Amino acid sequence: MIKVHIRSFARFRELFGDRFEVEVCQPATIRSVVQAVGQRNRDGLQELMDGEGKVKRSVILLINRERITGEGRENHPVAEGDEVAIYPPVAGG
Amino acid sequence: MLSERERQRYIRQLPLIGEEGQERLQSASVCIAGAGGLGSPVSLYLAAAGVGHIRLIDPDRVERSNLNRQILHAEPDLFRFKVESAADKLEALNPDIRIEPLPVAFNVENASRVAFGMDLLLDALDNYEARYLLNRVAFDQGTPLVHAAVSGFHGQLTTLIPGETPCLQCIMPYPPEGEYSPVLGVTAGILGLLQALEAIKLLIREGELATNILMVWDGRCGRLDQIPLTRDLGCVVCGAGGKK
Repeated sequence: MIKVHIRSFARFRELFGDRFEVEVCQPATIRSVVQAVGQRNRDGLQELMDGEGKVKRSVILLINRERITGEGRENHPVAEGDEVAIYPPVAGG
Repeated sequence: MLSERERQRYIRQLPLIGEEGQERLQSASVCIAGAGGLGSPVSLYLAAAGVGHIRLIDPDRVERSNLNRQILHAEPDLFRFKVESAADKLEALNPDIRIEPLPVAFNVENASRVAFGMDLLLDALDNYEARYLLNRVAFDQGTPLVHAAVSGFHGQLTTLIPGETPCLQCIMPYPPEGEYSPVLGVTAGILGLLQALEAIKLLIREGELATNILMVWDGRCGRLDQIPLTRDLGCVVCGAGGKK
């Protein structure tokens, strides 16, 4: 198991907390980290993952303050001590 | 050249921005897409600051459910076009500027025309379909765009400069869900004022802009965070993915 630092913003901060750590099995990926985050809250997983168990495409993800994008982003590796930041963009005006 | 009335009106900001800055505002044209929760504070404060030409586009009429946050409108305005209600208030606030109300939807047919000749575009829209269109037009015409959006106690903002910063498509290639989520009026007010501040700084060419960052407001804990942004080199609008 490795420890990953999580930083969450806005609605995700309400759901999961501001800064915290999760433990995930190796080899860790964005998907396994996000799944571990989602399990901290009863409504958490549905806010983060779509019906197929993939990280919602609209969620903004960063590792060590660097944006992770693209179709394969949820398989992006995450290492011990990395900081994963998650933010759900908003739409209203 | 400022008239005596304008000099009186702006006397408390002239020491900050100078006559040159005030004249830049006076000669500026901005297009605000949306006359609702964000559009209300943005247009009020830009009118008060003396932006010379404000084009407002919104197809909707005022409903009572708008009034918790759309502070340009009041009970007597119910069922009026929002842009007409807005124009009355803004002209009363500052008769020395030009307000141009367009009571139509911002769409593919009129987007280029609506944005043409503007110094700045302001995204006060409530859906990503129209936002992506505004972003496309901003990029095509090389016009800066200040994006904002709100939901609940939260909001986000970034300033997009074509050719220099990521575009909206780079930042949010997929639209978020819940386009009609509840929103506290204060949240729209805060983000709308941040948009107005960005607009003024950009027009008078002073200060640092919120470029290459997404400012994220969390009203529940009173925090303004910054998420770093980078261009997507394969972006379908501003990157290689958009090249014909």
